[in-house]
Amino acid sequence: MPAAAVLKVLVVDDQNSVRQMTRMTLEQIGVRVIHEAENGKTAMDTAALQPLDLIISDYNMPEMDGLELLRAVRGHPSARKVPFILLTGRGDRELVVKAAQAGANNYLIKPFTADILRQKIEQVMGKLS
Amino acid sequence: MASLDQLKATFFDECSEALQQIEAGLTDLREGAASEDTINAVFRSVHSVKGGAGIFGFDGLVGFAHVFETVLDAMRSGKLAATPDIVDVLLPANDVLSDLIAMSRSGEAIPPDLGHESRAALEQLLHSDGVRGDAGGDDSAAPADFEGIDFTPVRFDELDENADGGEQTYQIVFRPKPEMLKKANEPLYIVRELRKLGTLDLVAELDKLPSLEQLEYDHPYLGWTGTLRTTAKREQIDEVFEFVTGDCEIEITRDGRAEASDPPGEIVETNSPPIQPAAMPVAGDLRNERAAPAAAANPEVESAGAAPSRPASVKAPAAGATTTRVELEKIDRVVNMVGELVIAQAMLGQVVHSLPEDVSGRLAQVLEEVVHHTRELKDSVMSMRAQPVNAVFQRMPRLVRELATKTGKKVRLELAGENTEVDRSIVERLGDPLTHIIRNSIDHGIELPADRQISGKAEEGIIRLAAEHRGGRIVISISDDGAGINPDRVLKKARDQGLVGADAVLSDDEINNLVFMPGFSTAEKVSDISGRGVGMDVVRRNIQDVGGRISLKSERGRGMTIQLALPLTLAVMDGMVIRVSQETYVMPMSAIVECLRPPASDVHNLIGTSGMLRLRGNLVPLVQLCDLLDISSTLTASDERVVIITDAGEGAHFGIVVDELLGHQQVVVKSIEESYGSVPGIAGATILGNGRVAFILDVEKLSDLANSQNVQAGLQAGLGRFANGESKMTATVN
Repeated sequence: MPAAAVLKVLVVDDQNSVRQMTRMTLEQIGVRVIHEAENGKTAMDTAALQPLDLIISDYNMPEMDGLELLRAVRGHPSARKVPFILLTGRGDRELVVKAAQAGANNYLIKPFTADILRQKIEQVMGKLS
Repeated sequence: MASLDQLKATFFDECSEALQQIEAGLTDLREGAASEDTINAVFRSVHSVKGGAGIFGFDGLVGFAHVFETVLDAMRSGKLAATPDIVDVLLPANDVLSDLIAMSRSGEAIPPDLGHESRAALEQLLHSDGVRGDAGGDDSAAPADFEGIDFTPVRFDELDENADGGEQTYQIVFRPKPEMLKKANEPLYIVRELRKLGTLDLVAELDKLPSLEQLEYDHPYLGWTGTLRTTAKREQIDEVFEFVTGDCEIEITRDGRAEASDPPGEIVETNSPPIQPAAMPVAGDLRNERAAPAAAANPEVESAGAAPSRPASVKAPAAGATTTRVELEKIDRVVNMVGELVIAQAMLGQVVHSLPEDVSGRLAQVLEEVVHHTRELKDSVMSMRAQPVNAVFQRMPRLVRELATKTGKKVRLELAGENTEVDRSIVERLGDPLTHIIRNSIDHGIELPADRQISGKAEEGIIRLAAEHRGGRIVISISDDGAGINPDRVLKKARDQGLVGADAVLSDDEINNLVFMPGFSTAEKVSDISGRGVGMDVVRRNIQDVGGRISLKSERGRGMTIQLALPLTLAVMDGMVIRVSQETYVMPMSAIVECLRPPASDVHNLIGTSGMLRLRGNLVPLVQLCDLLDISSTLTASDERVVIITDAGEGAHFGIVVDELLGHQQVVVKSIEESYGSVPGIAGATILGNGRVAFILDVEKLSDLANSQNVQAGLQAGLGRFANGESKMTATVN
């Protein structure tokens, strides 16, 4: 049963305001270590160097979208096992299926409350203490 | 932690950018200049607006954005084609979006029917051509929709990184020997290579460092110990040390077990605990190298401790975006501070120069350094405020299209130099003048297609908008190939309005410049586009208010070109301090061509003028600054007076006569508008090094003043000739 406080989470979204809201929501749940990335490339840099317990990434981003990031993470030697939650603003079933097939561990539809976020994280990682 | 209000502000900033991108993208689509990614980019921008609006609770915005987004989604998946008709529905939709954003931002209640026409048009698009859109409901789909999709379950305890043999932690000890440095092998590169393999956390051993006097530059005194967490194989780590193995102590162990590759005879104790991080910095570079991995290994310390963490706090390893957002207020504050620094530095200069030579010598040298750095600082800070003029230019294509449609004319807009940068403050002031000039051009300049054909021109008129840096200014030119100014009509109108004497004889250029007179408008009917009497005089005043100048060239039947020359910034400038009688003034260096002290024999008197200076075969008209500014006559003998040659525009030079040049310095421009309004000839004020206030001269205005003082008829003639392109005057003079 992991403590939220020791989780190391990476938030990826090209919109700063959304990143910050996600950060705030994570902090509400009790997560303390939150990395941010603005795009897939910097996200991969972080994923390659930092120990991470969870990646939450938006889907719609320029240059490298969330699905491509997921595939890159799943192909990386040290980051490949990191749980990945894909954020989407559109209830696009096709996208969610693709994400699942590519190795995503869960999905989230924006906007989300702290409760829903917690629920999704717990679905992936087990109950948070 | 950022407050919700701050985040909302950030969101609205993002919306502004998104709106610009949407506009630009749709414009490109409309004009066939779109790339493969254009529709995607527009979609993403609308999507971002919708997403943020949802998160921050702006429901009125979400609803409309959703429909807009759905249409764009249909377009990017090919279900809807990007025809001009369709784009013509999207452009107004962007306007509605902009309104909704503005209202959400200001907290106004959004009237329920706002934009409903546009929305209906969008929905129409979705239902036509059999495109199925889910524009009806919003798409916060219930989880039930995604039932049956298998996600990979993960348990937290499975995340033990050593379990898989993936990542290992090695203890590393690395101590270069003298041979290594002698062979020009750099320890820094080794550390960098190690870092590439994984997470490196090294600490320097400083115990062998001698005092500075005893330090030999080519002798290694440092060693490093630490850990490397990596998925790389042992061979890869060894490879890093390939070229230096004999020349240093290397020891790589895993989990306390010594490994085979240590060279015989150099095995060192493997159980020494890592030395506590030393407080003092190690060799500059290495410290930075170290700081990054340390940050990488201890993110908990960083983030947990920093409860009031600022947004966007990604530290060293994630290289991060190459741009960042800073509040304008912060930049302006820095600009102000740099301005004060410039003033203080000038004062320091004064004090230094008043000291006796033996003391001031060294001090003056150091001061030179300070001046140099301050100048660089000023340039850097000013460049932070610089923006490409495209911010204003990109509004023009749409304006042109709309006006062309309204007037039934065919017009194409060409842009050049849109990436030319200029201070924010200037960019903001460009919008209105440019809009007005282009309106004029389309309204009065470009002819109807039929008329153009008759004159043998192409049906489509061209307006060319270009920006470039020239001589310390930014020059923006707007030229069209329309009918140009009709001098007869203008002259008649001017006469009718009493602006010009009935029998005055004016050159073509002078007639053209009549359009700048207040109240002037030759529009036969006041069209609602540009004929409101808000004429070129307002445009000129706007330009002059920011220290710029505007000029106009027209060829009847061929077209017209308007040029705006603006300073690059309003805040700080290089100035020449001058004295006239007892008064001190500052002249912008950018306006000065050269300064000289001519012998009296070079100055020729022309009746009615202050003299003409013979300069390298040319005759340059002179103007006494004391006369222009109405200062009581100077005390300096005429031989010692200084002439400053300045540019009056169009390459015409004239010489301003002053008493003394006091020095060249950077000057902070302070506006006097609030206290004094607009004073002809004065562009602002500043505080000099001696603490006194000096006015900054507006050289363009001085030239006008000199012209208008018809006492100097000869000067007029001289300038007139110069203005018409004659650069040499070979009149015989007494």
